[in-house]
Amino acid sequence: MHIDIDEIAKEFGATTALHPVSLAIPSGALVALLGPSGSGKTTLLRILGGLEFPTSGRVLFNGQDATGMTVQERRAGLVFQSYALFRHMTVFENIAYGLRARPRAARPNKAEIDRRVLKLLDLIQLPHIGDRYPTQLSGGQRQRVALARALAIEPRMLLLDEPFGALDAKVRKELRQGLRDIHDETGLTTVFVTHDQEEAMELADLVVVMSMGRIEQIGKPQDIRAKPATEFVREFIAA
Amino acid sequence: MSDAALNLHRTAHPGKRRFRSATEESAPARIALILIAVGGLLLLVGAPLVAVFAEALVRGWGAAVQSLQSRDAQAAIRLTLLITAIAVPMNAIFGIAAAWFITKFDFRGKAFLITLIDLPFSVSPVVAGLCIVLLFGANSAMGAWLVANGFPIVFAVPGIVLATVFVTFPFVARELIPVMIEQGRSEEEAALTLGASGWRVFRTVTLPNIRWALLYGTLLCTARAMGEFGAVAVVSGKIRGQTATMPITIEMFYNEYLSVAAFSMAALLTGFALLTLMLKTVLELRHADQLAATRRH
Amino acid sequence: MATRAPLIQRTAIPGLGLSAGITLFMLSLVVILPIGALLAKGASFGAAGIWEVVNRPRTWAALWLSFRLSFLAALFNLVFGVILAWVLVRYRFPGKRIIDAAVDLPFALPTAVAGIALTALYAPNGVLGSLAGEIGWKIAYTQWGIWLALVFVGLPFVTRTVQPVIEEIESEVEEASATLGASRAHTMRHVILPMLMPAALTGFALSLARAVGEYGSVIFIAGNIPLRTEIAPLLIVIQLEEYNYNAAAAIGIAMLVISFAMLLAINLIQIWSRRRIGHV
Repeated sequence: MHIDIDEIAKEFGATTALHPVSLAIPSGALVALLGPSGSGKTTLLRILGGLEFPTSGRVLFNGQDATGMTVQERRAGLVFQSYALFRHMTVFENIAYGLRARPRAARPNKAEIDRRVLKLLDLIQLPHIGDRYPTQLSGGQRQRVALARALAIEPRMLLLDEPFGALDAKVRKELRQGLRDIHDETGLTTVFVTHDQEEAMELADLVVVMSMGRIEQIGKPQDIRAKPATEFVREFIAA
Repeated sequence: MSDAALNLHRTAHPGKRRFRSATEESAPARIALILIAVGGLLLLVGAPLVAVFAEALVRGWGAAVQSLQSRDAQAAIRLTLLITAIAVPMNAIFGIAAAWFITKFDFRGKAFLITLIDLPFSVSPVVAGLCIVLLFGANSAMGAWLVANGFPIVFAVPGIVLATVFVTFPFVARELIPVMIEQGRSEEEAALTLGASGWRVFRTVTLPNIRWALLYGTLLCTARAMGEFGAVAVVSGKIRGQTATMPITIEMFYNEYLSVAAFSMAALLTGFALLTLMLKTVLELRHADQLAATRRH
Repeated sequence: MATRAPLIQRTAIPGLGLSAGITLFMLSLVVILPIGALLAKGASFGAAGIWEVVNRPRTWAALWLSFRLSFLAALFNLVFGVILAWVLVRYRFPGKRIIDAAVDLPFALPTAVAGIALTALYAPNGVLGSLAGEIGWKIAYTQWGIWLALVFVGLPFVTRTVQPVIEEIESEVEEASATLGASRAHTMRHVILPMLMPAALTGFALSLARAVGEYGSVIFIAGNIPLRTEIAPLLIVIQLEEYNYNAAAAIGIAMLVISFAMLLAINLIQIWSRRRIGHV
């Protein structure tokens, strides 16, 4: 699914989180929203996911206006910064949540839910943790469970907010490759937010550098490195 | 008391020499402070507690039980249960709604709204009752109209319910709000992105996370609702057998020198208060992490 | 851009209308309208009318008695509550858990029950009252009795506000004081007590506010003699029983003003302490 962001602006009271920004994300791309905190990247991601609503501008999914679409209708697989796993549910129940939440007519039967959850546990290479609770998992395991939970709803796109932010350096490297593999396997249009330029450059097909609610540059990693469009981009990627 | 029981040192090892830590008081000071604290509490709180049961049983179990079977006593018990059964769910629903409104949305005037919700704790119960009488009493325009249409509020059950809801108003809300602020919004947002409807999110994600805090607040609310005296005394009119709740009936019995009857009913309420304290303590021990951070009241 | 924040920020979380609706409906029905009715009643006969009622000797006596004894009871609770909190957090002794739970009994026990129980104990023929009588000390049906009842109802506040603060004190602070040569008593007075003061004062104010409005536990033990042992809330009840709605409303407004003043004081204490030490 390709996504078009058309002149989106967002104000929180007197503060402006996003000046009108526009961005076209081709179908199947792996895109990084890169910038320091306060650059508006998370706000933009939450607007795509339907958790925030723009003050003006439009979001288009496959060319269709999706601005007013509810969060449930969007079917965006969203991985939250601190994962937001349901702490009173087991890993299995967490992953099955979206399937069980479907209206009765569209809800898979119990055997089918079991099958899909087990398949997802295999996909994230944690086949035996279904009975555990989120507090019993390591940071890296939690992140992968959150990813599996988002994939369970057969999302139309994958949105990740600082997916590696809470992890130590070694685990981070491993999971980067894991995300790349899952992206390549599912072919989902994927957008992730990061403040780590190395991570963005290494992982993404397309990097969007943001600062203070504006897009500074859009381009392939090597192009951004070779030709930074602004002084800010030059300094930020040098850091 | 055994030796071990008197062992007041925090780092005591039998047979070893004891050095006083730099952050401890001397043994005499410690013992004196403990005696003041425990002795004071026994005198101030323990003695009245014992007195209630002693006075109720002064003429034996039979007399105490019999006094609770009188028509007035039975009517009072039924009325108090009825009032509690209406007021507590009203407060629980209000508390949940207010906590959801305050913690899940950003709007102007939030601090003022919280102050308004807390306000009933700073108002004398008698003044609360007075306010309700002035608003709904037969001498006010609205009250007269309501009486004329056969729905009196003051000197009737609805007034007692209102008074009870007033004095217990903040209990559930102020227990839930800090817990829900601490838990944030991201679990609810995650459930929404997975396609769950609003009710489903509340039922499957929010409610399990706040259930102990909700139980805790409801428990305190129930204890206060059953025991409220000042506000109910003003709005109820104290009509025997009709608007006399258990605490009001205690006063009636006491003023009529029916000491055993008064204290038997008091013992019943005291038993409930002790049960409340026990449950409350269990909740605090088992689920401290899921209750409001401090035990402020 | 200097636009004002919108009244409500739009989010994806549902239930805004329902939760706001229930909240505002209940708040209006239970709190705002009744208190508004009291204020409207007061406004209808004006400041002069209120003053005329408050300025009667019997009203003054009742308000002054309520406030004075509440202050003295809260003062006792301030000292006793801090000791109790310290003992409960720092020391280990048998039965501590029960003692800790018993602190909340005054909150859980209905006020009418507390009232008749205290009266039974401290009346001249009661267990403790007869003991006190032997040294010529009359407790029930005097101001001592009122004070005692007010101590009872306000007992938990200071302990419960101070306890968490004591739990949070880092032992390094006490150790630092000791390494600098301070005696334990000096550390207590100059290091620990100042740290507890804001919370203790909050508890004091809460205890005071509760005591000023207290009715049920007091009227049984008070004797209720006008000008001597008649508290302000009782005077409201008496006026209502005589259908003097205006007089009742005037005293009610006076008490409401006292409550608001104390609420303000509590908030100021908390703001002040947050600025000074960073927590309440």
